[in-house]
Amino acid sequence: MDNTPILSARDLGFAYGSIVALHSVDFDLPSGRIGLVGANGAGKTTLIKILLGILRPTTGSAAVLGFDATKDMLDVRSRIGYMPEGDCLPLDVTASEFIVYSAGLAGLPRNAARQRSSDVLTLVGLEEERFRPLGGYSTGMKQRTKLAQAIVHDPELVFLDEPTAGLDPEGREEMLDLISRLGGFGINVLVSSHVLGDIERTCDRVLMLDGGRVLRSGPLSHLVDADVVSVDVIGDVSAVVAQLTAAGALVETSGSRLLVSSSDDDPFRLVRDALAASGNGMRSLGPKATTLEDVFLEGSDA
Amino acid sequence: MTERGVVFDLGYTPHDGERRGRRGALSTTYRDGLNRVFGIHRRARKKILPWLLVVIAVLPAVVFVGFAFLLSTFAPEAESPFGSHADYFGITAGVILLFVSLAAPELLIPDRREGVLSIYSSRPLTPDDYVGARTASLLTVIAGFMLIPQALMYVGFAALSSDSFFTALGTNADEIPKILGAAAVYALAFAPMGLLISTIASRKAAATGIFFGVMLIGTALAAALVEATGVPGHRYAALLGLGEHPTHVSDWIFGRVGSSDLIVANNGFDPWVSLVVILLVAGVSSAVVVSRYRRIM
Repeated sequence: MDNTPILSARDLGFAYGSIVALHSVDFDLPSGRIGLVGANGAGKTTLIKILLGILRPTTGSAAVLGFDATKDMLDVRSRIGYMPEGDCLPLDVTASEFIVYSAGLAGLPRNAARQRSSDVLTLVGLEEERFRPLGGYSTGMKQRTKLAQAIVHDPELVFLDEPTAGLDPEGREEMLDLISRLGGFGINVLVSSHVLGDIERTCDRVLMLDGGRVLRSGPLSHLVDADVVSVDVIGDVSAVVAQLTAAGALVETSGSRLLVSSSDDDPFRLVRDALAASGNGMRSLGPKATTLEDVFLEGSDA
Repeated sequence: MTERGVVFDLGYTPHDGERRGRRGALSTTYRDGLNRVFGIHRRARKKILPWLLVVIAVLPAVVFVGFAFLLSTFAPEAESPFGSHADYFGITAGVILLFVSLAAPELLIPDRREGVLSIYSSRPLTPDDYVGARTASLLTVIAGFMLIPQALMYVGFAALSSDSFFTALGTNADEIPKILGAAAVYALAFAPMGLLISTIASRKAAATGIFFGVMLIGTALAAALVEATGVPGHRYAALLGLGEHPTHVSDWIFGRVGSSDLIVANNGFDPWVSLVVILLVAGVSSAVVVSRYRRIM
C-alpha cells in the first residue's frame, strides 16, 4: 500500500466565533479506508468542511491528495466526492437525472455522465427505481443515492459523513458492504461516524477526535489488538497475581479474571509460568477482545 | 433443455476519459438553470406556466406579422396599424415581470431548502461561479423572451416589405442595437432584483409575492408619495417606482422621450437618471447575492 499521505494537517485549528471546534490538529493519513470517529461535536464535520475548502482554517493548514485544501480548493474538489450527512437531494427529479447532473457538475462530459450514472445506480442497487422522483424514496434509497452522487465521477477520495444515519439494520448492513467495496474500486474513503462498530467493519485506519483534538491515529489493527492477555483463574487468584507482579507484568484483577500485559516479555509465557509456579489452573486464556469503543473510552478518560 | 441464466457482476469501471473541471461544472449549472425555469426533466405541472408565458410573449408578434401579411396582400396602400419594436417591449415587459417572479425563485430557493448546495460545495465550483451560472441562465431566458418576438417581427416585416427582403433588413438595421439595448435594460432592471429577493426569501411563493410588491406596489407607492406635496423632496419618491425605469430608458433608446406618462418622467427625471437607478439597484443586488452565497456555500 502507498504510504504517501492522502490527507494531512499541520497545527490545524478552527473556531466558530468564540467556540473552538478544532485545536491544533496534526495528522498524516495514507491511502486506504480511514475512519474519522468521535462523539457528536468532536469536530468531524468541521474537519471535513475544511478539507473540502468550504471552511477556511483559523490556524495551520490541511492538504488533500497533495493539494492545499484552501488555496487549491478547485483542484481538490475535482478529485474528491462527498456524501453529506444531511438532506442534499432535489425532491422533484428522478435519481437518474440527479446522478447525471452530479456527474456533470464534477466535470464529466454528457455521454460519460449518462453511462456512469447508469452503472453507479446499478452498483448501489437502485437500477429498478432510477426513474422515480427522489421525493418518493425511502431513507435507505436516499442514502444510496447520496453515495451514488459521491462516486459517480470516479473520485480518488470520497468523504462519507455519517453514511448509515437513519438506516434500519438491513439498510445499514447494505451500506457498510457498499463502503467496504469502495476500496476495491481504487477509491480511498474517509468515513465519518460516531458509531464505532461501523468503522471497525469498514476501515483499516482510524483518526479519533475528541473535543476538537486528535485522540488517536493509526492502523485499526494497532489500536484494537493491544498486547493484553485475559485469563480466568481456578484456585488462588492472589498467588497468581503475586507471581505475575514479581515477573514484571502489569495485572488488572476482576474476580477470577486477570488482564495481563508486559512491555518486556510475552504475557502468554508469563501467565503460563505464574500458573505453574503457584500450582493453579485456568478456565480460559486468550488475547483480550478490545473494541474501538474501549480504545476511545480509554483515550477520552485519560 | 434451456440453458441456465448467468448473472455477471460487471463491477466498477474507472473513468479514464475527459474531465472538464470548472468549465464543465459551470456549463452544467447553467444548463440546469435553463431546464429548471422551463420545467424540463420535471413533472408536467412545472412546465405549464413557463411555456404558457412563452406563448403569451411570442403570440402577439406572430399575430402582428400575420395581419401585416393580410394587409400587404389585400390593402397594400393601407398604413400598418401594428406596433413598432418599441411598442412590443411594452407588451413583453409585463410577461417578463411575471416570468422573472417565477423563474428567479426556482433557480435559487430549492437548492437552499433541499440542501443541494452541499453537493455544489464538493464540486469544482466557487460560490461566485454558482451565482454567475444561475444569473446567466436567467438573463438568457429574459433575452429569449425579449428578442425572439422582436426577431420574428423584424424578419417578418422585412419579408413583407415592398423592397427586397435583404434591402428591408438592411434598411431597418439601425433598429438592432436599439432592440438589444432595450432588452439589456429590462434584463438589468428585473433579474438582479429577482435574484436578490430569492436569496432572502425562504419560499418560492413568498419570493414571487415580494418581487411583485417591489415592482408594482412600489410604483403605486411612489405615485402616492409624489402626490403628497407637503413632504419635502416628494418629487424624488418617483424614483422608487422601480418597475417604470426600464420603460423610461427603453423609450429614450427608441427616441420616444416625452411620449409616455410615466411618474418618473412626469416628475422631471431624465432617462439617464432611470438608467443610473437601474445600474445602482442591479449592482447592490448582485453584491448582496454574491456576499450571501459566499457565506453559505
